[in-house]
Amino acid sequence: MHAHAASISSSDHGHAGHGSHGDHHGHITLQYQPGLPLSRGKLIMWLFLSTEIMFFAALLGSYVVLRFGAAIWPKPHHVHLSEPIGAFNTFVLICSSVTIVLALEAARANKASLAKIWMLLTLLLGSLFLGIKGYEYAAKFSHGIYPAMPHSRIYERPDLYYGSAVRARLDELRKLPVALVPAALRDPADAEAKAGDTVDVLKRLDEVAADRLSAEQQAARGRLQQVQKIVISPEQQAFDMAVVADQVMPLPAEGADHGGGHGAHGLNDAFPWLRLPTVIPGGNMWASTYFLLTGFHAIHVGVGLLVFAIMLTWTLNAKRAGAIENIGLYWHFVDLVWIFLFPLLYLF
Amino acid sequence: MSDHDPHAHGPVTRPGASADETLQHALHEAHGDHHAHGGLGKYVLVFLALCGLTTMSFLTYSPAWPWRDQPQVGWTFMMAVSCTKAMLVILFFMHVWWEANWKYVLTIPAAMMALFLGIMLIPDVGLRNRMVSQERALHMARDSDLKTLQRASAESPFAEAAH
Repeated sequence: MHAHAASISSSDHGHAGHGSHGDHHGHITLQYQPGLPLSRGKLIMWLFLSTEIMFFAALLGSYVVLRFGAAIWPKPHHVHLSEPIGAFNTFVLICSSVTIVLALEAARANKASLAKIWMLLTLLLGSLFLGIKGYEYAAKFSHGIYPAMPHSRIYERPDLYYGSAVRARLDELRKLPVALVPAALRDPADAEAKAGDTVDVLKRLDEVAADRLSAEQQAARGRLQQVQKIVISPEQQAFDMAVVADQVMPLPAEGADHGGGHGAHGLNDAFPWLRLPTVIPGGNMWASTYFLLTGFHAIHVGVGLLVFAIMLTWTLNAKRAGAIENIGLYWHFVDLVWIFLFPLLYLF
Repeated sequence: MSDHDPHAHGPVTRPGASADETLQHALHEAHGDHHAHGGLGKYVLVFLALCGLTTMSFLTYSPAWPWRDQPQVGWTFMMAVSCTKAMLVILFFMHVWWEANWKYVLTIPAAMMALFLGIMLIPDVGLRNRMVSQERALHMARDSDLKTLQRASAESPFAEAAH
């Protein structure tokens, strides 16, 4: 960079004269010759992006190792992933890439207010992406899919460990603190209960009038009673745990449901407050990689949105074109990462 | 960067402007006439291509895809589509197509490092398939677990109650 960083020339005229007429201005000017013919900001952004390429290459690489080195990997519908939502998010990010490019073009043409409109649109599209991502995360959380214990309710196999986890959760529900009783099963008497009192929610569910339950919930109530019998039965067989897991949260069959994952209804769907442990073969590793990759990507989106919000307070004229170009490069890179994440996470 | 008019193009620091601004100005002037004017059409074109490519990779997951029993075909296809999309974004949205030769200095080493990193990880995939710790072997799910669950779903004693 500094090989020819500065050479001294006397003035704008380019003559080598140190004499009379240059004294008028009284100072020398430096000729700036960078090693690469681009501005400092852009050079730094590109260098930063090359480190980012390697950062995401490492993340994607470890995903590939874990994904293809795993004995089993859940299908997208096993983990309640919706391909159309992922595709729509891809579309949103591509649109935002177009709008930031148009913001740059408008700024170069010195149309500051037009540039601002495009940048505002970019900000909104980026926020929409994060909003959809948040909606997807919420859908995972509601099914007990978290990256780690203690929130995660994913068990790998329908084995004895799974059976005892279901038993433990059922025991918890038999001694639930009054404050945690689900609204549908509240009793007028609960208002007078002391802080330390507990309620047997399962018993209360059995006693609740049928007209307070939907047809689906009535059927689920009967299945829940059978599940409770199976997990404490002394004649329990290994296969019974698979039956329990299938009742709690069935894994939809291949091609059965490509929509939002609401085709099959388990006990956890009929009574969300049950929160019984579920079985998703390969689900824990899937959750770890999914949340790590999309989480780091979402952080990058968030940083971009922050910069857009700050830049919206500026006058986005030709003087700011360099800055817009740099944040644009960053934003396109974020789009680029999603272009690879979408098929790897949703379609593989 | 041409040299016919040093005042307009030369990277000479002018009074009142920082070196960066001057350079930005000069760079803009140097390649501005190639694509800055009337160039919105090409962005629309790239946008449409990106949408079309996204649909293509999405369709590999649809029942119409002929190689459903060989997922590797679909994976390869999807990665090819993704690389095409990435190239479109890099070349046109990131303006690399119109940049001077410095682009190779920055992008080629990074791309090689990323590629090398990916290739280096291939043996790990094999290793993870071949070597399994006792604890992992005890607790990890296998295809048989999925089959058991599907059998439980089909033969469940409460199958009648559920449907």
